[in-house]
Amino acid sequence: MHPSRRDVLKWTAAGGIVLSVARLPFAEAATFESTQTMPGRAAAGRAGAGRIDAVAKVTGAKLYASDFRAADMEGWPATTAHALLVRAADATHVLTGLELGLLGADAKPSVVVTAKDLERAGLRAPPFYAGDLLCPLGTTPVYLGQPVALLLFDSFDAYDRARITLREKSPLTFGAQTGPVEQPNYAALRFTRVAGAEPGAPDAYSPLMEGWISPGFFAAGGRPIWKPLPASEGGQYKKGATYGEEIRALIAAKDPAMVVLDRAFRTQSVDPMFLEPECGLAWYDPKARALRLALGVQSPFEAADALGDLLGKAKAEFKPERIETHFAHMGGGFGGRDHTPFPLYVALAAMFLPGRPIRLAHDRFQQFQGGIKRHAFEMRSQVAFDRASGRIRAFAADHVLDGGGLANYSASVAVVSATSAIGSYDVPKVDVTTVAHHTRGVTAGSMRGYGVLQTSVALETLMDEAAEALGMDPVALRRANLLKAGGRSLTGNPWTVSVRTPEILDRLERHDLWRGRAAAKAAAPAGTRIGTGLAISTKDYGTGADCSLGRVEVDPDGRIRICCDATEMGNGIGTSVANRVAQYLGRVADEVSVARIDAFGALGLVTSDDPYTITQAAQDKAARNPRWVPAISSATSASIGAHVGTQAAAQAARVVLRFGLWPAALALWGIAQKDPRRFLWEEAYWQDGMLILSGLPPLAQKDVAAKAHAMGALTGAMAHAFSRWAWAQAAFPLDGLDWAADIDALAVRRGSGPFKVLDRGFVAFPPASYNRIGTSFTSSCGTLVQVAVDTASGAVRVARAYSVLECGQTLTREVVVGQAQGGFAMGVGYALLEKLPPFEDGPGNGRWNLGDYVVARASDLPIHGLEVEVLPPIAPNEPPKGMAEVVMIPVVPAILNAIHDATGRRFSALPVTPDDVRRAL
Amino acid sequence: MIPHRRLFTLLAAAAVGLLSAALARGEGSPPAAPLAPPASFSAIADPAELSAAYFAELSKVLTSPRCTNCHPAGDRPRQGDAARPHQPPVFRGPDGKGLTSLRCAMCHREANFDPAGMPGHPHWQLAPAEMAWEGKTPREICIQIKEPARNGGRSVEDLIAHIGDDTLVGWAWAPGGGRTPAPGTQAEAKALVRAWVESGAVCPK
Amino acid sequence: MPAISLTINGRPHGPIEVREDLSMNDFLREVLGLTGTKFGCGAAQCLSCAVIVDAADGTSATMPTCVVAAADFDRKKIRTIEGHARDGVLTPLQTSFITHFAFQCGYCTPGFLAEGQVLLERLEKAPIARAEVERTITEALDGHLCRCSGYVKYHEAVRDVILADPKRYLT
Repeated sequence: MHPSRRDVLKWTAAGGIVLSVARLPFAEAATFESTQTMPGRAAAGRAGAGRIDAVAKVTGAKLYASDFRAADMEGWPATTAHALLVRAADATHVLTGLELGLLGADAKPSVVVTAKDLERAGLRAPPFYAGDLLCPLGTTPVYLGQPVALLLFDSFDAYDRARITLREKSPLTFGAQTGPVEQPNYAALRFTRVAGAEPGAPDAYSPLMEGWISPGFFAAGGRPIWKPLPASEGGQYKKGATYGEEIRALIAAKDPAMVVLDRAFRTQSVDPMFLEPECGLAWYDPKARALRLALGVQSPFEAADALGDLLGKAKAEFKPERIETHFAHMGGGFGGRDHTPFPLYVALAAMFLPGRPIRLAHDRFQQFQGGIKRHAFEMRSQVAFDRASGRIRAFAADHVLDGGGLANYSASVAVVSATSAIGSYDVPKVDVTTVAHHTRGVTAGSMRGYGVLQTSVALETLMDEAAEALGMDPVALRRANLLKAGGRSLTGNPWTVSVRTPEILDRLERHDLWRGRAAAKAAAPAGTRIGTGLAISTKDYGTGADCSLGRVEVDPDGRIRICCDATEMGNGIGTSVANRVAQYLGRVADEVSVARIDAFGALGLVTSDDPYTITQAAQDKAARNPRWVPAISSATSASIGAHVGTQAAAQAARVVLRFGLWPAALALWGIAQKDPRRFLWEEAYWQDGMLILSGLPPLAQKDVAAKAHAMGALTGAMAHAFSRWAWAQAAFPLDGLDWAADIDALAVRRGSGPFKVLDRGFVAFPPASYNRIGTSFTSSCGTLVQVAVDTASGAVRVARAYSVLECGQTLTREVVVGQAQGGFAMGVGYALLEKLPPFEDGPGNGRWNLGDYVVARASDLPIHGLEVEVLPPIAPNEPPKGMAEVVMIPVVPAILNAIHDATGRRFSALPVTPDDVRRAL
Repeated sequence: MIPHRRLFTLLAAAAVGLLSAALARGEGSPPAAPLAPPASFSAIADPAELSAAYFAELSKVLTSPRCTNCHPAGDRPRQGDAARPHQPPVFRGPDGKGLTSLRCAMCHREANFDPAGMPGHPHWQLAPAEMAWEGKTPREICIQIKEPARNGGRSVEDLIAHIGDDTLVGWAWAPGGGRTPAPGTQAEAKALVRAWVESGAVCPK
Repeated sequence: MPAISLTINGRPHGPIEVREDLSMNDFLREVLGLTGTKFGCGAAQCLSCAVIVDAADGTSATMPTCVVAAADFDRKKIRTIEGHARDGVLTPLQTSFITHFAFQCGYCTPGFLAEGQVLLERLEKAPIARAEVERTITEALDGHLCRCSGYVKYHEAVRDVILADPKRYLT
């Protein structure tokens, strides 16, 4: 159980820095790691049910990145210095100076870091964060909230005095007006599909067949020219665009047999508003030339890699030989901590104050000013319905996204918005353009439900309006248009998972809230209007290149320890992975350690190329190296926790069962070599800690574990899994068998020996062409809401609601229901409360806090009138499906549809405020 | 021993908010709008018009968010220069000092705490519901403020001291935390109230 | 600098000199290392920083620490999340939060725990009718922001502690 060797995951970044997360084995775990291991040694077993991190969270244990100071880190100097990031609240004038004279003598920074210092030190922004990390003097900041300087303070008191002063008065001076800095757009793509003439016939054109296309031409100001131009360049674009223009012409023809709706929508920018502002702690130890950090991000592997890029080409004194990263639990994420630039500034603070541990922490004003935001959208959607059948004949849409100051995730959000534009529906002719612009706003990136949330607002309110125009029931219209299993999605591929939207519609239709909607409306008291609305949504989970690392060990007492690379931000990954592993090993884990990219050194993984753009030939060649995988570790985002985050640990546990506990059980039962019951391992099951196979005495889990150790059988496994809309599969030599599983790397240990990597004998990575798929993993949710509108104030109150969702096999029911309840609250906030203006009045001005930015409180929600139903899986062994994003999405259009039912007015810009409603009435 | 800060806040309260005013008007507070002195209205010959003019000038104070935010139309105060609903959602409660779980004094301590932009005063509370001014015209406020049933049981003469000397009212001129102070000074407002009362307390049309 | 003395979780601290402009939140987190009390907004709008203040008259109330000077806590008796469990035994409310899966990321939990505990102690002294339970909980907890949970399970967790012991909390 206690590996004698150091486990170190090492990889080499640009410039030859060794990136590693060195740690001691379990028995000698460093202080920080033990704080992140749940339920932890202090808690002697878990009392009853509950999250695996529950005791730590109700007792105030040090857990989050913001809880750690130098004194809490083993082997670090005792005292903590503090850093303050000065950001620009102006992006239309030349930055002329940094005047720190307003700071008193007891509030002076000991070091001031500016763009010039970064240049001198040879530091550079990692490719993903391209742009000036600090705005150089003499230039106009590229975006509101762009960092200008890092102030480093030896003492907390000096730092605290300075931040109080600078909160009131910016130290930055500005000169000539330049207007905003223009930059190219981040992505411009067109997704067009024309189905074959007959049902089941091959498509005439689809992104899957022809690839994704982008216009080659842009007007002044970066606006793409979507029309096919008669030029030799962009020939591939021309073909798709020609189909697209035909679809638009069809819609514009106003065929009397069709009902056409042409509508514009606007959705706002919001803040993820995770409750723990971003923060980090770092120490550059010049003697060891090691940079050590404690961070809280959704993408630990990426963060470590980016730090390597930042420092890899630096001058010697700014270039560590090693970077050691520790990743803590997060106080919320919602996407906003996935690929955040924040860790870069933590590292810079440490490099410019060598020898001193230093902490950089946002307050809430700074988090609004500098944290990743949701993209604001402007959409135009046109739909043509067949008047007789209600079937959608053609759909066209144009999406314009405000990407803010830096590229970040804008391209991905643009793609998802397009590929999700037709939601759960089967549409034979679709043409969607999508462009994400650079603006001077705060950088927009990943946030819960991105792309789909915005387009569902358009689509699901259009469906309601169309039902009215067609004289059809809104449920019947949706049902008539549902994409069925095997049907093709917008990119031209079918979904490869269960499609439950028909059942979801049935549940909504049967629900009392829906059936009683007319009566409820009629019974509205004076001064109140009651309305009911519904919507369904489907949301991809996974990104098309998702990884999972999992390590499972069982000790001679049957105790189970798990490490995985997925991170914990409230999503319950530790609990879910423990529950999934328990299905194989008969016991909920005694220790689970998350965000551990360091515990997998034995796999010796290597990678190359970009998993999203790699060619088939390159993949085939690379795959010959048994250590190669398309990507090593991915962010905990895109609702991949249940499906991907638990996959490697689950597969490792399955290996431990089959080649460790099962042989031990056979030995205990005395089943002989030739007895056919040897092969019944999948018939056996665990119940109350006992392994049961009919006709044989139940075996206690710990006796089985002890026997496995005594026999030198397999007692631990670590695995890597990769999904590109299908799992990579490989076979490994185990006990004379070729063990095939949905993993692409495996190491095992026997008894108390070390982990040994196994060479895969066969591997099948999902083809590179799957990168043309928009999504094939999707889960669905339907929401029904009843609103009460106060006619005097215009206030909209969600009075009752029902959400029904499906997520395959449920790993932790309470976590799933909790996500649905939380997603509902965030949906209400998005529909009715939350709003960030784009530019100078917006969060980039550094003056936003929760008084102006209103998120839903319990009093804004129907906490006693919200019903959540989780559909049972289609089969007991249906794999878990991601669900934490989709649960937020239909809430928003359902509210808009309910407001329409109550008031007769359609609102197409979010949020719908009491003033909007009052004006409309 | 009385801790230094406590002593400081007691002094501040005793000195009619002068100390806290000086502190709060440091960096960040926008300048107050001016308030015309009674003498500047001497050109108005008609005594009733003159009296009404004093009130109209005074109403710049009474309709400032510094006043209306805590003289709200409902039971929930407002906040900031934009007069948005108070966050977190607090309500009047039986004594005007909040419900059991969210009392004013939880956050609003004896003096402003400027490092967090938090206003404070020993008697922080909502004006009684019958004294609501939010959304009212100067004339409506004037009629209301003269009625003892809707002005806290005061004679018009009492209003001179209430507006002119009350330290909680005085906070409006030293709000701190980037809030725009009420127009003029408390002394200037007092002079206007006195002039209005002494000229017959006529309400503007 | 004023020196303050106070009792935290039954343990006396001080006298310790503090700057007048030092917030109680920074006193707890930076000076004492008691990071169970969180920093969320710095403006008393999320109340993740709330602690329990035990008054001399036997009543208790929560108070945010981010907008209040450390000096203001001189001679006060407070309880932070680190002090709810005694000798490793969780309170009924802590246990209820766990069994209900009340929280997700857990960052707002210290505030909800403080507010819920104050409510329970208040009801113990002044029980309410069963019909008042839901409204009372909503009113008591509404100052606290949670971004993950949608609040449902927090409310159920508090309610179930009350309903599990009606003699103590209900009329």
